[in-house]
Amino acid sequence: MSGPRVALEVFAKDLRLDLRSRDRLGHMAVFALLVVAMISIVVPASKTERLAWSPALLWVALLFTSLLGLARSFQSETEEGALALLVQAPVDRGWIFVGKAGASLVALIGVELWTATLFTVFLDVDWSAGPLACAGAGLLGAVGLAAVGTLLSALSIGVRFREFLLPVLLFPLVLPILVFASRITADALAGREISAQLWWAFSLYDWVFALIGYFVFDYVLED
Amino acid sequence: MVSAAVMLSVVAALAWLLWLAGDVTGRIGTARWVGGLALALVPVWLLLVAYYAPIEVAQGIIQKIFYVHIPAIIPTYFGFILSAIGGVLYLRTREDRWDQLAVAGAEVGVLFCSLMLVVGPIWAKPAWGEWWAWDLRLTMTLILWFIYVAYLFLRSFAFGSDTAKTYTAVYGIAGVGAIPFVYFALDLAQSATMHPTNPAREGLPAEMGRTVGVGMLTFIWIFAWLVAQRLELASLQARALVASRAETA
Repeated sequence: MSGPRVALEVFAKDLRLDLRSRDRLGHMAVFALLVVAMISIVVPASKTERLAWSPALLWVALLFTSLLGLARSFQSETEEGALALLVQAPVDRGWIFVGKAGASLVALIGVELWTATLFTVFLDVDWSAGPLACAGAGLLGAVGLAAVGTLLSALSIGVRFREFLLPVLLFPLVLPILVFASRITADALAGREISAQLWWAFSLYDWVFALIGYFVFDYVLED
Repeated sequence: MVSAAVMLSVVAALAWLLWLAGDVTGRIGTARWVGGLALALVPVWLLLVAYYAPIEVAQGIIQKIFYVHIPAIIPTYFGFILSAIGGVLYLRTREDRWDQLAVAGAEVGVLFCSLMLVVGPIWAKPAWGEWWAWDLRLTMTLILWFIYVAYLFLRSFAFGSDTAKTYTAVYGIAGVGAIPFVYFALDLAQSATMHPTNPAREGLPAEMGRTVGVGMLTFIWIFAWLVAQRLELASLQARALVASRAETA
């Protein structure tokens, strides 16, 4: 089997698993609902203030929700020694990373669509001012979170206190995603022009971490 | 002249540490000289801070924190760079010495980074009127601190020594990859810049500049000595492990 084929198989397997058990997606959906409900209750009532706060709150809510899913991205592999078998696939293990991150990417996009809907319903966010820019920020954010999250989730497989360690490892590294994405969302919703520099930096970030993930995954999974 | 000595010291200390990591047991004797140099520099630095550097007109005596705060920058970055170099070399060669160098760099780097973050607010309160200004360089340093504290956590929580070595090397590389983006993002997110861009070029009195320079020299050699101690400890631990394994076998 060639590398891309292995990536595709891993990707399809994870997607099937997500759709069949619905554990990961279901938990993230309920968690997002809870977080957005809490946010809606405590955010100031005035419309302008809500609009000003929404982009940042949206991305913080997304970060916490995606953490929940990313932490579980290797759960099926750690059970019954599946990981040991998976790494025996005679291809560059970077492809396993691509498959896993791809499946997480799909899950994260689903979570983003769901959370955006919740923000529309509960906080009355109007996306019509810049739907394309918001979608672009969502896509770039999901790619970045999937890449960094998959790498760090794999790092924290064989580690004690992993539910504590994963956010500690993840948050400082994904801070740029939070800043870029909430800035783009805020500018788009307010109808301001978004600087090209921001898009470049965001895309570059995704590329850098996709490449780091691809190249170092061989070391991460070797034991 | 002092700034040339600082640059020379950074290069010399880096070269010495890389050489030392090659054979810690055989070469640790040289650490005595480095320790002696650091020890000789400390009283010079303190005397300069106390008597030579003038008391700043606007801020008064509190400004002397400057002579601890600024020099701590160099060992902080030095430590993180060592840890990145060590991590890459470890992944390529799988030799324990590079891993030991990486961890020693991160540990001592975190120590100096903490020192900088702690003394900064003590000075900022009287100088800027607030403890924590969330300005670009302050936030950047805080995020760096978070990354390397996470690195040390990962180190101590990973099962199995080879796994821990690989994982920390990988995280160190990811951390270095994130640093430029974090800087750009923070620059974008906050407009406040309280830190002077370059104190040396903004008309710092010569006495103050020289005192900072001597402080940097002192900190660089203290840093190098501490990293050497950490390397010696790691090599002793490795030897003890081998000995205890031989005993049980």
